[in-house]
Amino acid sequence: MAPQEMDVQRALELLHMSVFSQSVSPCGKYLAAGNSYGEIGIFSLSAALSAEAKEESKKPVVCFTAHNGPVYALTSTDRQLLSASDGELKAWNWAEIVKKGCKEAWSRRPPYRSSLEVPEINSLQLNLKDNSLLLAGGDCTVHAMDLETGVFTECSRPQYGKWIRCLATDSDWMVCGGGPALTLWHLRSVTPTTVFPLAPAQHHAMFYQDLILCAGQGPTIYHLQLSGDVRAQIPCSPRALHSLCLNQRSPEHKVLTAAGSSHKIDVFTNFGYRAFSLAFA
Amino acid sequence: MSSDSSKKRKPKVIRTDGAAPDGKRSKADAEQDVKYYSEETEVDLRDPGKDYELYKQTCEELQRLMAEIQDLKSKGSKDSAAEIEERRIQSCVHFMTLKKLNRLAHIRLKKGRDQTHEAKQKVDAYHLQLQNLLYEVMHLQKEITKCLEFKSKHEEIELVSVEEFYKEAPPEISKPDITLSDPHHQTLARLDWELEQRKRLAEKYKECLTSKEKILKEIEVKKEYLSSLQPRLNSIMQASLPVQEYLFMPFDQAHKQYETARHLPPPLYVLFVQANAYGQACDKKLSVAIEGSVEEAKALYKPPEDSQDDESDSDAEEEQTTKRRRPTLGVQLDDKRKEMLKRHPLSVTIDLKCKDESVLHLTFYYLMNLNVMTVKTKVTTAVEMTTPISAGDLLSPDSLLNCLYPGDHGKKTPNPANQFQFDKVGILTLNDYVTELGHPYVWVQKLGGLHFPKDQPQHTVTADNSLSASHMEMTMKLLRTRLQSRLALHKQFASLEHGIVPVSSECQQLFPAKVVSRLVKWTAITYEDYLELSYTKDIVEAGLAEDTHLYYMALIERGTAKLQAAVVLNPGYSSMPPIFSLCLTWKGERTNNNDDNIRAMESEVSVFYKELSGPKPGYQLLTNQLQRLCVILDVYLETESHDNSVEGPKEFPQEKMCLRLVRGPSRMKPFKFNHPQGFFSHR
Repeated sequence: MAPQEMDVQRALELLHMSVFSQSVSPCGKYLAAGNSYGEIGIFSLSAALSAEAKEESKKPVVCFTAHNGPVYALTSTDRQLLSASDGELKAWNWAEIVKKGCKEAWSRRPPYRSSLEVPEINSLQLNLKDNSLLLAGGDCTVHAMDLETGVFTECSRPQYGKWIRCLATDSDWMVCGGGPALTLWHLRSVTPTTVFPLAPAQHHAMFYQDLILCAGQGPTIYHLQLSGDVRAQIPCSPRALHSLCLNQRSPEHKVLTAAGSSHKIDVFTNFGYRAFSLAFA
Repeated sequence: MSSDSSKKRKPKVIRTDGAAPDGKRSKADAEQDVKYYSEETEVDLRDPGKDYELYKQTCEELQRLMAEIQDLKSKGSKDSAAEIEERRIQSCVHFMTLKKLNRLAHIRLKKGRDQTHEAKQKVDAYHLQLQNLLYEVMHLQKEITKCLEFKSKHEEIELVSVEEFYKEAPPEISKPDITLSDPHHQTLARLDWELEQRKRLAEKYKECLTSKEKILKEIEVKKEYLSSLQPRLNSIMQASLPVQEYLFMPFDQAHKQYETARHLPPPLYVLFVQANAYGQACDKKLSVAIEGSVEEAKALYKPPEDSQDDESDSDAEEEQTTKRRRPTLGVQLDDKRKEMLKRHPLSVTIDLKCKDESVLHLTFYYLMNLNVMTVKTKVTTAVEMTTPISAGDLLSPDSLLNCLYPGDHGKKTPNPANQFQFDKVGILTLNDYVTELGHPYVWVQKLGGLHFPKDQPQHTVTADNSLSASHMEMTMKLLRTRLQSRLALHKQFASLEHGIVPVSSECQQLFPAKVVSRLVKWTAITYEDYLELSYTKDIVEAGLAEDTHLYYMALIERGTAKLQAAVVLNPGYSSMPPIFSLCLTWKGERTNNNDDNIRAMESEVSVFYKELSGPKPGYQLLTNQLQRLCVILDVYLETESHDNSVEGPKEFPQEKMCLRLVRGPSRMKPFKFNHPQGFFSHR
């Protein structure tokens, strides 16, 4: 392909890219983002947040193709980055990931019933207590994988109709949403306390201090109070947001990053407004 | 007393003088008179010294006597008279002695003088003799030196060396027995030999001269013969023209072309040569011709004297006209502009024939003052085509060759030096004159061998053959591809305007058998219209939609759902894909702003276009894209989840086979068609 054609191809790809997942490195200086083309881009938060940040600092330090399908979920242990896509799970060492030509440490496939369609893995959750990984995917099943041995066990098969997209817990409270509206549950009594008046489906929710941050179909992040009031709506560049990530691991790079249906990842230093955007290139 | 003495003396004197002449006279009768008194002989006999003493004595006596006389006289006595008389007589005698002595002295003197004179004369004679002899000696010496210095001419002649002489000369000349010993004879012999040789050589020289004359005459004759041959050959060539045409071997034509080509300006000449070479070597369907007026081209290069005369004439004319009426500033500027944009009277035409018999005509012009080449295009097709309305711009000469190479839009002059020239005459940009002058694309300059480095005006950019050659093949291929793709689009547009998406048999496998959505409308829109659409902002921001591109709007309908697709067609179709932006009007307006699935549909068509290229060279990309758009609209509508709140059945029952209806965090619909199983899945 001539360089001009490659530029056009890449430009088109960038236009139609969606970033589905993000994860922060154990040291807190790097942000990994997975997109719809199966690429994982590693951004350097320290470079982007520093005083003399240039345009190049907002581009990925390294970007490699991790999977054939979109990277739907990313999570980090203290040494590895785990990425999940169409029916496969791969692990990458954070130490080597910044160098080019990084190879995965291991890759696993959870056992699936049907071989015709390979279901995607939508969500990963680390269970640090017993060193296991929970995978939830499109086959409506939750798998648990032991990180040491790599053995999968099937856990539960919820057969509810409407899909649950996001879930967050904070001691007594749980907020979940997706198909149904975002709802705050009180865990002890297992009753919904507040239903938030948000029209679009919410894709991600998290507790932060005394607020609930959530984002979804529209191009805004909502700051909600537990009482149900919408405290703030922050506009972002992606049209729909799929993932919010809060960098708790490094105090000087404590930012909120939001990614969605765009090749840009918004970075919020002060959660009230968008500071700048990292972008895939 | 004294008178007496003188009287007495006189006769003596007379006697002596008389005696002398008498002596002389009477030499003849000397025997007669032997007794003459010769005082001259007496002189020889008397001793001069004694005479001198006598003289002294006499003088003293005389003085004594006088003194005595004096005394006597002074005393004055009477008897003294006798004494006085005596004394007087004595003194008279003494006087006579004195006289004698005087005479003797005179004679002696005379004699002495005579003798001196004689001696002197002798000496003079000797002296003269000596002088004469000396002169003679000198003269002889000169003569001797002259003789000694005499160079005989024979020494100037270069003779052969002695050894050679003895080797070559025949013995009767060299006479070795004499000459070896005698250098004089040797030299003589050598000179003889030299003379003989020279005589021989002189004869040879005469012979050669005559032969040269003969040969010159022969050459003259042959030249005349040849010059009379030329017109005969010309007439033969003329006669053979019809035969050439009959045999399709236009040598004459090619020759004429080369003649005309000599008058081309350098960039056009380079283009002509390279295109001709390429056509002969690689591409039989390429033909090159030169058009225009050769006389005008020749007239451009008038000799300088004529132009000076013209200048002075025109100055005179100008003065006259300014007196009458000043031309307005605008008219002057206009004239200057016309002058600056003047074209060379000759132009090069290249015709590219394609497989389907359509021809692309390119005419290349050269703007002399700007040192820039331009091109005008024309397309003739094998079959008369009715132009569909939307395809108006496809084959228009203005935009046919836009962006042949990326970014080469031909709106700006490629020669940076032109900007300064333009400023002088108030031309903003060459773009204003493009319709009459042609487009100054960068590839045209490269074909003419003109290379303009960016942003650096150079004084002279001369035409370079290697630059032209390296670009020729690529450019010709691109030109053909461009023409073919435009013609293919032309045909496709004709079909699209009738609502039919033409899908060739090779591409049928990309789509399911049954497609319900239909293309209803296909129109061309302007760039400004495109910019105003709300759902095209991303594409414009990404720099993928520029004013050199072509814009179209497609409308696909199924039932109550209407899908508007705005299409950006890059001039480099089909290596550059068309880009689609969608807006679905069905139960509200959905675009990529508010519906991720619409975004996915766009990416299906725009990003994954490689699957839709079809067989090479991929001219069916657009129609395949449109067909796929119809297919995924079907999928979208059919897989839309049923809204239970609304009464009635689904408007679009699901007919497509899908493994899963939604997938992933963004709840994607299955847009990917799998062949040959015929079901839809997700990417």
